[in-house]
Amino acid sequence: MIFLKLVNSIDKILQKLLIALMALLLIDVSWQVMTRFLLENPSSFTEELARFLLIWIGLLGSAHAYRHKMHLGVDVLVNALSDNVSKRIAQLVQLVTIAFALSVLVYGGITLMMLAVHLDQTSPSMQINMGIVYFALPLSGALFTLFAIERLVTGNHKVEYEPDEPSSDEMQKGES
Amino acid sequence: MDLTIWILLASFVVLLMINTPIAIAIAISTILTMLLTMDSVAALTTVAQRMATGLDSFALLAIPFFILSGYIMGQGGIARRLINFAMVLVGRFSGGLAFVNVIACSLFGSISGSAVAATSAIGGFMIPAMNKEGYDKNFNTAVTVTASTTGLLIPPSNILIIFSLASGGVSIAALFMAGYLPGLLVAFGLMLVCAYYAKRNNLPKGLKYSFAEGVHHLVAGLPSLFLIVIVIGGIIAGFFTPTEAGAIAVLYALLLSLGVYKEISFADLPTIFLKSVQTTAIVMLLIGASAAMSWMLSYEFIPQQFTGFILTLSENPLIILLLINIMLLVVGTFMDMTPAVLIFTPILMPVMAEMGVSPLHFGIMMILNLSIGLCTPPVGSVLFVGCSIGKTSISAITKPLLPLYAAMFACLLLVTFVPAISEWLPRFVGLID
Repeated sequence: MIFLKLVNSIDKILQKLLIALMALLLIDVSWQVMTRFLLENPSSFTEELARFLLIWIGLLGSAHAYRHKMHLGVDVLVNALSDNVSKRIAQLVQLVTIAFALSVLVYGGITLMMLAVHLDQTSPSMQINMGIVYFALPLSGALFTLFAIERLVTGNHKVEYEPDEPSSDEMQKGES
Repeated sequence: MDLTIWILLASFVVLLMINTPIAIAIAISTILTMLLTMDSVAALTTVAQRMATGLDSFALLAIPFFILSGYIMGQGGIARRLINFAMVLVGRFSGGLAFVNVIACSLFGSISGSAVAATSAIGGFMIPAMNKEGYDKNFNTAVTVTASTTGLLIPPSNILIIFSLASGGVSIAALFMAGYLPGLLVAFGLMLVCAYYAKRNNLPKGLKYSFAEGVHHLVAGLPSLFLIVIVIGGIIAGFFTPTEAGAIAVLYALLLSLGVYKEISFADLPTIFLKSVQTTAIVMLLIGASAAMSWMLSYEFIPQQFTGFILTLSENPLIILLLINIMLLVVGTFMDMTPAVLIFTPILMPVMAEMGVSPLHFGIMMILNLSIGLCTPPVGSVLFVGCSIGKTSISAITKPLLPLYAAMFACLLLVTFVPAISEWLPRFVGLID
């Protein structure tokens, strides 16, 4: 189906973007440390850029993590139910996710963006409009919605994933 | 307790029970509660804004960096070197491999910042090695699982950074120092149980190296451990912020793994970066949603109401601390550590302040408490990974786990009622008065 292929290629692009953002974040903060210690003339934009990169990585990465079912949940009850019932409940959760994505991330995010543009809110150091920073919200919301629809369409099967070592799914929850 | 609290609780519990991602459950129950007192546009915009600005913090940036350095360092070679290092120290005793397991899990947990990673990396070597020496595999798995959680208290630790944020800015450096003694205390408590078990079951001694071999293995382990020295030393001495220390940790880990140990190649980097982004994003969505919730909680005066309620239960601070610990133990069995810290820190902080418990002491107590939950069913990520690595089942390892739980619980009581265990070291290095 063309929709599923499209979603898959969007996620591929998203992965590349996220890897690039993470690399940029590392270079940015390393540069900040270097300028502070070696040149004794700390660069002013690096801290702000790093904070904005984290917002983008956090929000876009969340949508990507949602597609790969990595977000933490409490699955004890659902696992105890019959397959049929738990499938229905999973669909309900996908609808809840879409509601969250469209109302908070897309609607709330766009309202916030328009407010920032209207008030001409710019960042202190790089002088960019905060609307650009907040654009991560509706973009993430659109991706969440797309991935939730994909799950509804495919009946919640596990999506194809880049080959990885077998323990990768366990490693993802590495923050515990 | 009025209507707002019931709406919040009911919607949150229902959403959790149907396995909604916790971050989304937090955001939605926050909005539902806000709708009681404000219009929908304001509620949605506020939540969206908090989710973005909640991540707009330079201190938070330490988290992706420590996750990244953990993944880079989390390769098999480093685990093996740390095991040899521990073997030189404690291998010679009866039941030596159990002690080696505890120490290696603590060291690896500290360096990688992840209890799950410590369980799979150290357990992957140690459990089969212990099985071969005739140790019971259920005991081996139970030791690995519990010992892996000590790395959450021993810095660098992401969960302590998350607590710093949730508590409204307790110093990360002070928290890092505060975690050392409690983390080592738990490791020591677990080793006591191992010693008793070794004596009763007459377990064999581990390897005893010659002096030259011993020196060789100790030296081989040093470059990995030097990461801790750079990061903690640099932060305590005030050379750099925790975030900058994180970036330096990544550069050091890259240098070590790509250049010296040659455990990974440049071609592995995109996968490692992507994994780090995924783990980071899971934490960040939780932080963003919790930022919205904690704004709503203080807007609705819920922590104050909760404090008032708790203080009606008892006048005795010891009883209240005990009650809170019991509540957190229950929470920890059902919920992962990060969301639990983000949700309960803002609610419990005012109670703690009322009773004169310092935020530092409270943070360490809560993390140690929730560490126990990571090793208990039904929701225990470390326990699950441990069982799959140890090729055993949860019911089979419950019996050997019980004395280890008891040791952790005893440490929790000590940390709860003796503030000095958490506060002495940060005070000694001059980070608190």
